[in-house]
Parts: sequence; C-alpha cells; structure tokens
Amino acid sequence: MTLSGLPLTQLLMIAGGAASVTVLLYILKLRRRAVPVPFARIWDAVFRDQKATELFSKLRRLLSLLFQLALLALLIFALADPKPKQSLLEGRHLVILVDGSASMKAVDVKPSRIDSAKAEVKKLVRGLGSADRALIVQMGALSSPLSTMSSDVTELDPAIDSLSASDTRADLERGLSFAIDSLRGLPKAEVVVVSDGVLGDVAEIARHVDLGKAQLRFLPIGKSGTNVAISEFSVRRYPLDKSRSEVMLEVANTNDRPAQVELTLLGDGTIIDVSRFALGPNERLPRYYQDLAGASRTLEAKVRFADGHADDLPADDHAYALMPERHRARVLVISKGNTYLEAALLLDEYLDVTTVLPGKPLPSEHFDVAILDGVADVLPDTVAAALYLNPPEGGVPVKLGARLSDFGFDTWEKKSPVLRFLALADVQVESGRALTPAAGDRVLGASDQGPILLSGARSGHPFLALGFDPRSSDLVLRVAWPLFVLNAINGFVEEDTGYVSSFRTGDVWRIPAPSSVDSATVIDPRGVQHVVPVKEGRAVYLGEEAGFYKLRAGSGSDAVNSEFAANLSDLAESRITPLKELALAGQKAAAVSIGAPSSKRELWVYLLLAVLGLSVLEWISYHRRVTV
Amino acid sequence: MGLLDLFRSEPVPRAKRRERALFDDEFQRKLEMLALVSRRVFAGRLRAERRSKKKGSGIEFADHRDYVAGDDFRSVDWNVYQRFGKLLVRLYEEEEDLSIYLIVDCSSSMAFGEHKKFDQARRLCAALAYVGLANLDRVTVVGVSSKVISRMPTTRGKGRIFKVFEFLSELEPGGVTDLGTALQTFVAQHKRRGLAVLFSDLYDPAGFEAGINVLRFAKFEPYVVELVDPAEARPSLKGDVRIYDCETGEERELTVTDGMLDKMERAVNDYRASIQRFCAQKQVPYFPADVNTPFDELVLRVFRRGGFLR
Repeated sequence: MTLSGLPLTQLLMIAGGAASVTVLLYILKLRRRAVPVPFARIWDAVFRDQKATELFSKLRRLLSLLFQLALLALLIFALADPKPKQSLLEGRHLVILVDGSASMKAVDVKPSRIDSAKAEVKKLVRGLGSADRALIVQMGALSSPLSTMSSDVTELDPAIDSLSASDTRADLERGLSFAIDSLRGLPKAEVVVVSDGVLGDVAEIARHVDLGKAQLRFLPIGKSGTNVAISEFSVRRYPLDKSRSEVMLEVANTNDRPAQVELTLLGDGTIIDVSRFALGPNERLPRYYQDLAGASRTLEAKVRFADGHADDLPADDHAYALMPERHRARVLVISKGNTYLEAALLLDEYLDVTTVLPGKPLPSEHFDVAILDGVADVLPDTVAAALYLNPPEGGVPVKLGARLSDFGFDTWEKKSPVLRFLALADVQVESGRALTPAAGDRVLGASDQGPILLSGARSGHPFLALGFDPRSSDLVLRVAWPLFVLNAINGFVEEDTGYVSSFRTGDVWRIPAPSSVDSATVIDPRGVQHVVPVKEGRAVYLGEEAGFYKLRAGSGSDAVNSEFAANLSDLAESRITPLKELALAGQKAAAVSIGAPSSKRELWVYLLLAVLGLSVLEWISYHRRVTV
Repeated sequence: MGLLDLFRSEPVPRAKRRERALFDDEFQRKLEMLALVSRRVFAGRLRAERRSKKKGSGIEFADHRDYVAGDDFRSVDWNVYQRFGKLLVRLYEEEEDLSIYLIVDCSSSMAFGEHKKFDQARRLCAALAYVGLANLDRVTVVGVSSKVISRMPTTRGKGRIFKVFEFLSELEPGGVTDLGTALQTFVAQHKRRGLAVLFSDLYDPAGFEAGINVLRFAKFEPYVVELVDPAEARPSLKGDVRIYDCETGEERELTVTDGMLDKMERAVNDYRASIQRFCAQKQVPYFPADVNTPFDELVLRVFRRGGFLR
C-alpha cells in the first residue's frame, strides 16, 4: 500500500484541526440549555425514569463521539489517497505535445484550433486512469513544458489553460526529442501529438527521431483550411537615391481553387496602395512596388478575399516591414581641391562633408569617413575609416610599390560592395603606384603590373586605398567614379549592408546593437519587455510573434533605440488544411481514445463533503431538537 | 381626556399599561353584568341573609354548651336542666353579614408563562370582590407567597371596588410559595371568620394541603380556585436540558423526549387530581380556572357551582 495523496505532515495538521472541531462540537452538544419550570417537583416522577436510562444515554453520547472520530480518521486516510503499489506501477505516462504553431490560430473550428485543442486535452486528462500521469508540453519553435508529470487535474488544468499559439512553425522533431527524454525509463510511455498536422516534413523528422518503446498517438484538430497568405515581404532603399525604396512581396493562395484577393499596402499606417488580382489554385504571386513613395518608416501589407470575407488563418494576412533608417554620414575631405571628388560627394544629399586643407588642424568631431586626396595626414581616433586616393609615400597604412604607367583595371572584385555594378574594364590611367598588401588586406582591383586598389583595417579602422590620382585617368569622366566614391562611403558606414527589413518568427534573430553592452531590452508587439543578451554587437532573441518590435540598449549618450519587424513568412505554416492522420517512419500514429471522466480520484473530496454535510445537519438537527 | 392632556401625559411604562388593561372599561362593564346576574339569580334575599357558622343570638337553635359564669340566664335551657340536672346554654346560629377574604397567591410560579395565571387570578379576585361588595358583604383582599405580603383593609360597598382594583394592580409576583406559613399569619390577623377564597396554582413545595388545612382548622370556609395553565402540562421542550424551579432554583438535568412529555402531562394531571380529591374529601369547594377561559365565563361557572353565593 502506498499513500500517494497529501504528505504526512499535512495530513496530521488536517487531522488535528478536524478532530479539534469535532470534539468542540461534541462539548457544545453536551452543554445543556437552562430552562425554567414553574414547579420542579412535578418533574421528579419523570426524573426517576430518566435516571434509570442515564448510563445508557452517556454511553450513547460517548459512542457518538467515538463514531465521529472514527469517521474522521477514515476520511483523513482517504485524503492520503491509499493505492496498491501495483496499480501505481501500471499507470501510463503521457507526454501531451500540443501544437502551438501559427496554423493553430486558424478559426475553422470555433473559437480557434488552439482552443479546440485545449478542450480536447482537458477531456483527455479527465479521462485518465487513477494511476496515469501526464505532462503538458507546448510545441512551438521551442518545446516548453507547462506542468510536471502529474495525475493531479488541478495542476494540469492551469497548464492546459496557459497553452497558446504563436506566429511560428512547430518543431515536431524538437518536441518528440523532448518527449522521449521525459519518458526515458518510465513504463507505458505514450507521446500524444495534438495538432492540425501542419508539422513540416514529417518523413525527414522520422529519420532523426527514434521513439523507442514509446507509443505515438495523434489527436487531430481542425476540419478545413481556406487561406491566402503574404508569404514574403521585404523593402529596400535605392542605393543612389535613398529617399526612394522598393518593396517586394509574395501573395500565396494555399487552396485548390482560384481566389480573388485584395492587397492593401500601408505606409506609416496610411493606405498607400490597394490592388485586386486573381490567384490560381496554389499559386504564389510575387509583386514589386518600385519607386514607392508615401512611406518613410513602417510598411504593412494586408491581404483578404476580394469579396470581403476573411480566411481561416488571419495570422498570415498581415505582414510588417521597416524601411532602413537613413544616417547622415559625416565625411572629412583632406584635399587641396578636387572638383571631381566634390562633384561625386554632391550626389548624395545624406552626406555631411567637411573639407580641410592638407597640413591644417583636423576637427575633433567624429567622422565616419576621411577621404585623403593625395595626402597622408595622421588621422585621429575620431575618424572611423579612411579612403586614400593616390597616397604619398609614408604615413599611409599600405606600402607603395613600383611606379606604374599606362595601366588600367585588368582584374577587380566584381562582387565587392565597392565595385559592384561598376564598368572598369577600359579605364585608362596615365601613372600611379602599385600597392603592397599586408596580411589581411584584400586586393579589390589590380592591373597586370600590380595591385592598385586595396581594402583592409588598421587598429580597428577600415581603409580603402586607390594607387593613382583619379584625375590622371579617365575614371573621373565615367559614371563609375561617383558610384565608386559613394559605394566606398556606404561600405564604411555599413548602410544597407546586411539590412533585414523584417525577421522571420521562430528563427533566432540577431539584431544590431551596440557592442559595448551585454544585454538589451526587446519590447514585443504586445508591449511585453524581454531582456536579451548582446553578443558581438548583436542582440540575440527568438521571436514568436509577428509585428513591430523595439530594441533598447545602453544608457545615456550610448543609448540606442531601434525598431525592427517580424513576419510569419512561412508558406508551409500557411497551408493549414488539417491532416487526420500522422505517420512517422511509415508507422501511423494511433488514435487517442478519450475515456469517461474519472471520478475515482475525486471520490475522497465528495466523501469529505458528504460527511461534513451530514455532520452539520446532524448538529443542527440536534440543537433544533429535531432528532432527539 | 382632552387633546392637550394627551400631550401632557407622561409616557406610560409597559407594566403599567398591562395593569391598566387588566381592569379596563370592558372589564368593568362585565363586572356590572355579573353583579346584575347575581342579583337576578338570588333576588329576594336580604342583606346579612347569609348564614354564618358563628353561634350567637339568632333564632334558629344550633347547639348546647355548658353554662359558664356570666352567661345570660335567659339562654339557659331549663328543660334540660329539669331532665338531666345540668346547666346548659342554648346556642343559636347567628345571622350576620359575611366576611369574604380573597387571598391571591403572589409567588413567582403564578407569573410563569407571561403572567397568565397571575392576571387571571387578579381578574377573578376583582370580579368576586365586586359581587361581594355589591351584596354589601365585608371584603378583604390579601396577597400571599411565603408570607402575607400585602393586605387591603376590609371594605364594604360597591363604590369601593376601585380601591380593590388599585390594590390588585399594585401586587407584584415574586418569592416562594409557602401557603401554610402565610395563611397561619393570615388567620392570626383576621379573627372574624368567613369565606376565604384562595386563588393559587397550589405549587407549594410544602404541599398544597397545608394552606387549605390552616384555613379549615381556623374555622374559615375555604374556597379553592386553582389557576391552571394547560401549557405547563406539556412544555415545548426537546433534548438535553437543565430545568430549574422558578421559585426555589432546584435543578434537574434530563433529556426530554416525547415519551417523557407524555409522562409529564400525566404527572401534572395526577397532581391536579390529587388536589381535587383532597378538596372533595374535606368538603372544600374547588374550582379549576383555566387561564385561557374568559374570566366572566369562569365567574358565572363559580355562581352556578354554588358555594360563593348562598
């Protein structure tokens, strides 16, 4: 016999309290009411008979107390929940993996698939046998246990209530691995997957997961799936005109029949474009919005059926993106005067240019880039990067090699951000110097006589060095010249480089943050704050909700407040047609049989209530002189 | 009473209001009716027509007694002397106006059960006093418990009824019943014998016989009016109780059941039967007065029963 109920100390406390109450009631029972009578002597005849039965009366009362105490002892014993050891060992152990992916937000079953799943799991839990134990796990991008392995409905119910669907896909492989780890060594192990079946490539998962002796069961949720989705959404600024941007999005029809859809684009919360178009069965339609005006910061896209009715999954009908923020780059030009350079710098209105003559004192403010035109002034630490044009001997981070004449770009890194889209093949240079790269330097362009364009970094300051004076070439007369200058500046200030207009939910995001801090605060679309670690200048966070986020890092003058967006952007998750079966490694998951609600475990509660109720009734009836 | 008097009048205490209600106008009208009834039934009889047991100078022979010095020679029965040689004096029943003593038990038990017995006793006492006064008898009202606690001087004439009301209104129940002791005091204080009407529940720890016997032995004509409250025979009690005597404080602990209440009812009836038996044996008129019966009906029953008006 094993006591699987309340712990002994708690039982003793309850027993003590209840016994005290019982004895108190008994004492109150013994206290007689004082009643006046007009002539006590008449009662003497009656009293004589009463004396004869007094002993029996006392005994009856004592027996009554003993009976009540015995009843109490039995109830306390029931509270201890005694069970045969055998029945404990034979109980099932279930890990209930509840799909918390975006597809579970579908409303084809009312009020939603996740709510339907909760109701089914509650039925399942109530139908468990007295020796069965269950663990509730929410299966999203991560698998999160919401309870302990328990048979206590009062513990499992709140866990079920806390289940929710996120804007991510469910990672079945991770969920099953967690379940197998939790069930290791336990008899009668079962894994119950409660899902709509939108679980990705199940065949691939089966190759990585070994269920062992655990039995897989599947509880299907959902009945239909009519859905259109925005499966991709991104925005970028034009490289040469950052005031303009272009948007690319993809609208998908996941149904087997054509659909008329209406797509709405909002810039900074205001509608800037509405278009209607037809989508074929299972068609994915990319759409581009070039030279988009009317949005400076936020972009949102919404899709719905053209007839106005909503689809079954609202979560993927709304996508978010943030336009890359424009920084005004501070450029320091040290030159005796260079018309072509000045002209190139005029092309970008977001450049803040300061010109200093060679040998003059340099300003002490921070500069993103310094352009040294034929000079080699020593730069202070406040200058982040440098572009050397025709560097003189000494004072520059690269060694100058042989003198060159009549040369050009014979090879160059066409994929380099500095040289991309530049036509340099027929550039003619009159004279110049070859550059000698140091370890870690990168040759971006070279003539057959030696390297003429190098990139590298010295003491954490990146630099770019061009081995000739542009004015002694025809480069300055070409379109490539201003592109080269602006690309170089953009490369140094990292604008547009690796910019992500929106993250994908369920992925681990690496959000740019100051490298000087260890942690940052991410505020999700619901306004909940999460403190996240910052590693190598990136805040690391696994987001599960689509929408606009904020990042707060650092304090004081170093404080950074930035925004970013996240989207579901998962076509697999948008295909919400539910599956009625789940097969893993060719083996079909067994169906879940939901038993009748078990009342066995609750019996002690009802017993206790019944006995207490009877005791109260008896006590009241006694004092109301009904039963005596 | 005028309107102004209403405003001027002091608030009347509850007990006082109850006393006023006891002898209100309705009560007095009923008394008048009872007096008329008594006159009609006993019409033609003259004052002092009642026959007292007092031996005196009447005309109807009653008995002989030995001559003692100082007796009137005219009352010596010379025929007896001639026949037996003994000097005996003739005694005649003296006809005189009757003395009526109305004795009200004022012990605590009379107040048991919302004063029902005590109020009924006072109403009956007032009614009989009025009839007595109307018949020009000498009426005395006495309140007793374990002693004579109050006494209204002997009075005569119908107009004195308000004195009787006043006296009865001022009686307060309290104390232990000891009719034997109390009535011994009473007889010692009242040399003139007469009709002694005792209003009591006869809950006397010393025995109800004691008080009646004192009256009997002192040559009074006792008339027992027992106040009966039926609720006392079957009290509404259940369960474990500790009963105590409202007069003596004696306690008994018992568990009251229906069977026990039946026994109690029988015991009360037995007690009353014993009173009735005793009175019958001793030729003492006995009259049970239920507290729930209107007093005028009870008074008429007293008249019909006889003994009070002869």
